[in-house]
Amino acid sequence: MSFARAACAAIAGMLIVAACEHPGGSGHDPVVYRHAIDGIPASLDPAHAANVYSSTLVVNLYDTLFRYRYLSRPYELAPNLASGMPEVSEDGLTWTIRLRENVRFADDPAFPDKRGREVTASDVVYSLGRHFDPGTRSQGAWLWRDRIAGLEDWIDAGADPDRRIPGLYADDDSTVVFELTEPYPQLAHTLAMALSAVVPREAVEHYGREFGVRPVGSGPFVLEHFDETRAVLERNPHFDRGELDLAAEGHDRQRHAELGLDVLDGETYPFLDRLEIHFITEPTARWTSFVAGEVDNVMVPPEQADRVLASRDPIRFTPEFERRYHTQAEPEAGFVLYGFNMANERIGHHPDEHIDRANRALRCAIRDAFDWQERNDTFYQGLGQIFPGVIPPFLDAFDPSLDTRSTDHDPQQARARLQAHGWTPETLPQLTYGLEASVHQRQMFEQFRARMEAVGIPQNRLRSRAFASFGDFSRAIGNRELDLFFMGWTMAWPDAQYALQLFYGPNAAPGANSFNYSNPEFDRLFERAARLDEGEERTALYRRLNEMIIDDCVHIGSLSRTRLHLWHRHARMLPDREMLGGYFLRFVDIGATP
Amino acid sequence: MTPGIELLRFITRKLAASLPLIFGVTLISFTLTVHLGPDPAYAMLGKNPTAADLAAMQRELGQDQPFWQRYASYLRRLATLDLGHTESSGEKVRDLLARTLPVSFLLLAPGFVLGTVLALLLAMFAAWHRSGRLDRLITGMSVIGMSLSFVIIIIALQAIFGVWLGWFPVRGWEVHGPASYLNHVTIPTLAFVLASIGYNTRFFRAMLVNAMTADHVRTARAYGASPIHIMCRHVLRGCLLPIITRIVYSVPALAISGSLLMESHFSIPGIGRVTYQAILSGDQPVLMAVVGLSAVVFAVAVTVADLLCRLADPRIRLA
Repeated sequence: MSFARAACAAIAGMLIVAACEHPGGSGHDPVVYRHAIDGIPASLDPAHAANVYSSTLVVNLYDTLFRYRYLSRPYELAPNLASGMPEVSEDGLTWTIRLRENVRFADDPAFPDKRGREVTASDVVYSLGRHFDPGTRSQGAWLWRDRIAGLEDWIDAGADPDRRIPGLYADDDSTVVFELTEPYPQLAHTLAMALSAVVPREAVEHYGREFGVRPVGSGPFVLEHFDETRAVLERNPHFDRGELDLAAEGHDRQRHAELGLDVLDGETYPFLDRLEIHFITEPTARWTSFVAGEVDNVMVPPEQADRVLASRDPIRFTPEFERRYHTQAEPEAGFVLYGFNMANERIGHHPDEHIDRANRALRCAIRDAFDWQERNDTFYQGLGQIFPGVIPPFLDAFDPSLDTRSTDHDPQQARARLQAHGWTPETLPQLTYGLEASVHQRQMFEQFRARMEAVGIPQNRLRSRAFASFGDFSRAIGNRELDLFFMGWTMAWPDAQYALQLFYGPNAAPGANSFNYSNPEFDRLFERAARLDEGEERTALYRRLNEMIIDDCVHIGSLSRTRLHLWHRHARMLPDREMLGGYFLRFVDIGATP
Repeated sequence: MTPGIELLRFITRKLAASLPLIFGVTLISFTLTVHLGPDPAYAMLGKNPTAADLAAMQRELGQDQPFWQRYASYLRRLATLDLGHTESSGEKVRDLLARTLPVSFLLLAPGFVLGTVLALLLAMFAAWHRSGRLDRLITGMSVIGMSLSFVIIIIALQAIFGVWLGWFPVRGWEVHGPASYLNHVTIPTLAFVLASIGYNTRFFRAMLVNAMTADHVRTARAYGASPIHIMCRHVLRGCLLPIITRIVYSVPALAISGSLLMESHFSIPGIGRVTYQAILSGDQPVLMAVVGLSAVVFAVAVTVADLLCRLADPRIRLA
């Protein structure tokens, strides 16, 4: 046989194989939604779901007791695996939560007969208890530590799941009881986090370490495929939560008119047969993939903002993009800020009152010298919301009348402060500015240093220290090695307590208080506020705490970024990546392409 | 001594001589990873850990054990191919490698083969027409190819073939058979060929031009042998050794390292992407498995290169 014949035969063979390869199916075409996210979830074990990427998957594979209503803003809790909201005793110490009946885990070889069994209150207790087993490597134990009666003794005795935790138990198959050491109004929010999702003990024990890639839950979807680039989820046949009640989910006919959600009211969800979640870290690839129609949504990369926006204030998309896609400009539930290391006596707390005052003046001068608007325009396309303190505008406790001078760029004031306290280029301390090794972070450092130089803080007084990874950067902060650092904080629940805990003394590094701020009065008020239910008194306390941080110049900030979302017109949904979410995916439907 | 026994002795000797190399590479990389690499404990802790949590996590990760004990444990695992579990997801490292290595190989192999063959052909044309127009054109194009950023090539090809023409997917790896494989591999292959052909052509051309100055080539030309005959029988054979060495030495990188850029931009679940994530997160079991296997594969590649060189030129002794 000649070479040409052989080649023709090979090509013909390939075409035949290719024709046979097409995965066809009889019946209706499956309803598929392809969702793009900008990061990769490392693990699907709920105990590791502390970031938005893992959470997006975990809340769709597992059930949490509560969730956030789909369309309500401000965010509102709703029962999920629970049959109703918790019954809380008068003193706030005993919480009783009842579970829905007939909720089943997905079928899996981990179960004796490979059929998923009913989810019980004992599963909830087990799922929370396993956070305290060191072998779980939990990222969520801090949410409940010191909060549940008898928990510490139970941990000291080996965190044996067969032994009862005095303050966390199943009263019967469908009732979970929490007995708390002190009121903890945020408990319900923690039970809406992916970290609290309910897992079957059989699967955890069957898969061991591999449980992170072999999820077995009772959520709306089950995992069909998972690798470093995508996860494919299919509808869980056991999942039955009835019909979608749009009004109960916070649907507003005017505000949500464009989304075309009305047709879904009263329909049984989830609406998708298949949910594909694509992990596309490269912004260009994400954008190109969206434009080519390979994914149904995109969070607009910064370099495309000029192209999609007609105006920035107010934010308006161009008519072309408005016509072709659904559009949304969503402020993040979080913020970025600069922090000072208050444990360093050269710039932070000092036992000598005079030096302490001078250090405060230096911190305030640095804050005055920094230009948030320039940062916003250079790195956030001018779309971010700058606000004083750490209570972002999306929270009820946000005070719109709060003095904004702490976020103003005021070089004159900065120079005056330095002069008044005798700070000169010779007496200024050398400060270590920590950053992750990236061009972006390096540019931010240069911008920061240029603003400092403009008020008389020489370049050699600010030394950058770059870290190869986030883990290294966190280690340096945890070890209190840095004087200044730029960080982000994502809110896990819509309550200012979550932001203010960043400054609570007992949370000092390696805890969330990376600033090592230590103020007994702050701690006292924080503890008081944290025990209160939502109300005027709590809001007033939160605002007072916020002012204390601003007065002490512990941080420079803050700014909430605005995320621009686009999605194809055939997708009926309102995307939301905040509150470590992903709950909205169960309500997504794909209609006919217009 | 029969040639078979001589060969076997050579392979055994060569692989045994590689042991210090493997030992050195693993020791250096293990030391660097442990002392200078990212600390996974901090990244794996929650948002509000205590010092006790940190200590517990470090114990759980084995960081409290002496260095030599950890290194010995790593070597034992490598030798028995019991590579443990990844720190991030808990997946078995062996399964992870089995899942990602073939993908990287399937992704890069067509581009590697095509890029090498095309570059060799172009280099042969350029060398034959040395200093002529064709040579200048090929050399000029090679320089342009070398100057182009790999990322720009990838983005341009994605825009042209994925978005404008819509012929191929922009990204992804949903391979179920030959057709879907061709569908997903075409743009990455084109990108790989465009990015590598400039370097390869310049290298091969330099080798071929050098070989063409040999007396036996001039003699063949004087005899009036055809250009193809001269090129294939005399010139190519004359510079086969550096070409073989270059190709064989590229295989370990192809098989183990993958291509981070390609796998990131095309969202392909290969070993390059996994390794990069492991570097960032300090996932030691994955990193050490990749480094250890790379050292082993490189040692094998050196042996194979020597054997192929012997095949190409029987004058070389297997010493």
